[in-house]
Amino acid sequence: MRFTKLDWLAAISAALVALAGIYAQGAPRYGGTLHVKLRASSVSLDPHEWTPGSLSSAASEKLASLVYDRLVTLDDYAKLQPALAAEWSHDSGNRSWQFKLRSSVRFSDGSLLTPADAVSSLQASLGKSFEVTAVENGVAIRAARSTPDLLEQLASGRNFIFRRRPDGSLLGTGPFFLTESVAPAPAEANPSAIKPAKIRFQANEGAWSGRPFVDFVEVTLGEPPLRQLLDLQVGKADIAEIAPDLVRKARQEGLRIWSSAPQTLVALRFDDALDAPASEQLREALWLALDRDTMANVLLQKEAQPADSLLPQWLSGYAFLFESPMNLQRARELRAAFPAGIPGANQPLRLRVDAPGDLFKLMGERVAVNARQANLLVQVALPMSANSSPAPAVGLHLFAWHYDSLSPRAGLEAFVKQMLDGTDLPANTADPEQLFVQERRLLEERRVLPLVLLPEYAGVRANVHNWNASPWGDWRLADVWLDSEDPMTTKAPAGPQKNSSTARNPGARP
Amino acid sequence: MRFFTKSYSKSYSAHFLFPRNLISVAVLVANCCFSMPASADGDAILRETAQRLAERVAAIPGLRGALRLEWHPDATWSEGESHHWQEMLRGEFEKRSLAFTEHAGVPALDVFAVETPTQVVLTAKARVMDRDEVRIVSIARALLPPDTLPVAPVRLERQMIYETSDRILGASSLGTSLDGGLALLIYRNFELVALRVDSRGAVKQSVSLNSANLKPSRDPRGELTARGGLVSVELPGKSCEFSWESAGEVSCHAEKPAAAEKSIWRGATSLTSPCDGNSWKLLSAGSEPNAKEVLQVVPDGAQRESSAAVLSEFPGPIISTNEEQNPSGALVIARNLRTGNYEIYKIRLACGN
Repeated sequence: MRFTKLDWLAAISAALVALAGIYAQGAPRYGGTLHVKLRASSVSLDPHEWTPGSLSSAASEKLASLVYDRLVTLDDYAKLQPALAAEWSHDSGNRSWQFKLRSSVRFSDGSLLTPADAVSSLQASLGKSFEVTAVENGVAIRAARSTPDLLEQLASGRNFIFRRRPDGSLLGTGPFFLTESVAPAPAEANPSAIKPAKIRFQANEGAWSGRPFVDFVEVTLGEPPLRQLLDLQVGKADIAEIAPDLVRKARQEGLRIWSSAPQTLVALRFDDALDAPASEQLREALWLALDRDTMANVLLQKEAQPADSLLPQWLSGYAFLFESPMNLQRARELRAAFPAGIPGANQPLRLRVDAPGDLFKLMGERVAVNARQANLLVQVALPMSANSSPAPAVGLHLFAWHYDSLSPRAGLEAFVKQMLDGTDLPANTADPEQLFVQERRLLEERRVLPLVLLPEYAGVRANVHNWNASPWGDWRLADVWLDSEDPMTTKAPAGPQKNSSTARNPGARP
Repeated sequence: MRFFTKSYSKSYSAHFLFPRNLISVAVLVANCCFSMPASADGDAILRETAQRLAERVAAIPGLRGALRLEWHPDATWSEGESHHWQEMLRGEFEKRSLAFTEHAGVPALDVFAVETPTQVVLTAKARVMDRDEVRIVSIARALLPPDTLPVAPVRLERQMIYETSDRILGASSLGTSLDGGLALLIYRNFELVALRVDSRGAVKQSVSLNSANLKPSRDPRGELTARGGLVSVELPGKSCEFSWESAGEVSCHAEKPAAAEKSIWRGATSLTSPCDGNSWKLLSAGSEPNAKEVLQVVPDGAQRESSAAVLSEFPGPIISTNEEQNPSGALVIARNLRTGNYEIYKIRLACGN
């Protein structure tokens, strides 16, 4: 094979272009608008309004991290890093903690962060088991019991620091501030169609942690899953959530897909109203009838994991000890011995799907199919509409639980409080073996039957650089930069130029 | 509150892994492969964790006779790290009169290690009579020594000489002045600090560069050059100087606009071959924060990935490279993706394969 001069020229040019590309990638670029699409139809930037474990609070937390900071953060190397707290210390019993606030940190309106801001934020988010007081240059936190995992708690969930202004709006010290919030409204051209809600954030030039790379983050809420996928493909979105059942399709179409550790537990919960002694056999029979593998591998196309525990393996470290073997034979034997009148035998057990979206409805139907194989009658109840008459009582709920704490103990406590009517865990559950014992006890009660664990999936366009989301779902959008001025990113309304400090936060209240 | 026992500042740690006078010997070892010995402190913590588990397992009622130790390490651990844990656990179990055999017919003692975001969770599980006995202990991952990373065989001589959890922006060898060691420019807790560390990794001096009055940045950059006792630091739009002897007097001045616009960053780092005096340059992309990076050393004038390139893989992105006083050597700063630490490698071009 002989090379002509033209071949050599082409080869050298290609090498130079590739080299230039590599070096261009290496230098972060400031500017542009990052377009983000989320499935949640509404969010709140007030952490104290969030319902623990709800999917909407997960979306809200993602956006709140643009606007607010926490005292500490957890890096990808298991190290707790200082954020608004420059340093901290605690007593030998892990009950008394002191945090020194970083000096000269300002909110996005230019006012200084004070210990009182941290006290009011944390007292409400940590709850009555903690006493948060202001001390010189910082805050002291006194826990009712030993809390060696306090830093993990403070690095996650709703433990953001913010200031509530007299008009109710909130101020943060984070890398962005809220500039615009548009509620969903009928489309002008077609009033029967609804224009999704939009929220716009602007870079905080004076952010203590450094200015973010992009100028704006524009978030569209309530986009249907297929629409999100399409938006990614045609360049109308830079980052979009991908529904688990669409991940395979997205991969086949060559999209860059990121996934987190499993963030959401899908499970069944029995109503307490069910007669306890009789329902014990029902719970056991249904637990044995459930085919979690098929749900994860067929219904969710291997984009989910069968769940045997309340806490995921990545959080507890011991979830592999739990097993939920399917045993239809034993389930049928239990069913045959049911006393008369028990739901699921002659009268159907009503299952309500509390989690939003078609995927969860399909899972509910799958549960009904599994139950039928064990001769159990389960009927999926339609969700209540706003003006319908009160629905008949249900005995079973299918729900989704989002893990929002980096502390397994706090995670299990929140779950128990929200889903199992506030049953208290013993005080010594910071010990992993005790936590395991408690979780095993809860699972053996069979009041909650885990089904599958879902990771979070996002599609990320190729123009998004330094995408370095954490395994537990923190997107870290302040570190992301865009590599080109494409037409979409230059449509931003005239705002303050880079390096200007005139723009100040009008307050966060979408 | 006077009884506080831990503070954030204690979590900063840095140490030389090899004394400088052993570098030449260690370099020979580095040519094939090497693994770092775990630090004494780290080993003590690891041993204490193994002891806690062994004590709890030994106290299981009815656990008697020979057992088969089944070890299930975390999937992300290297073979070296896994082996180190296994031997430590086995030793502690045996100290407590648990006898192990390889015989397949005896009951198993399964020991699992799982990493969570902040902990290593060790779980022991044994079948005693008709019940499963489970014992669990955990240890904060941040307290453990860095992984014993196997390094791929390389043809470029290299040696890791320093590591720290602080973000290193620049490094300069102090040569024979000031007892040897390194001068470092770090970004710690959102502030720029210059450090002088001795040849054993102990911090001898710390100089805050707050007087440069730089804004915090998500992409902090800076370069440091030490010549004798004098240090110059190049920062975006600014240039600072100080001497270790009068470190309180850091003088900074803004670059003229024209000077500030030009790239203040060093060009490609070059090495001189000790064999023929030819010049070679170091190439690294440093664009992917989550990928291991291959350093390429190519003859001056050649393009990337030429057939003559010498390649060396680092355990994460390469932050910067810096010429040494020895013309055939350089310092390479890389981030270790396994530990999150910043590591300084001394590399040297040597003759032959």
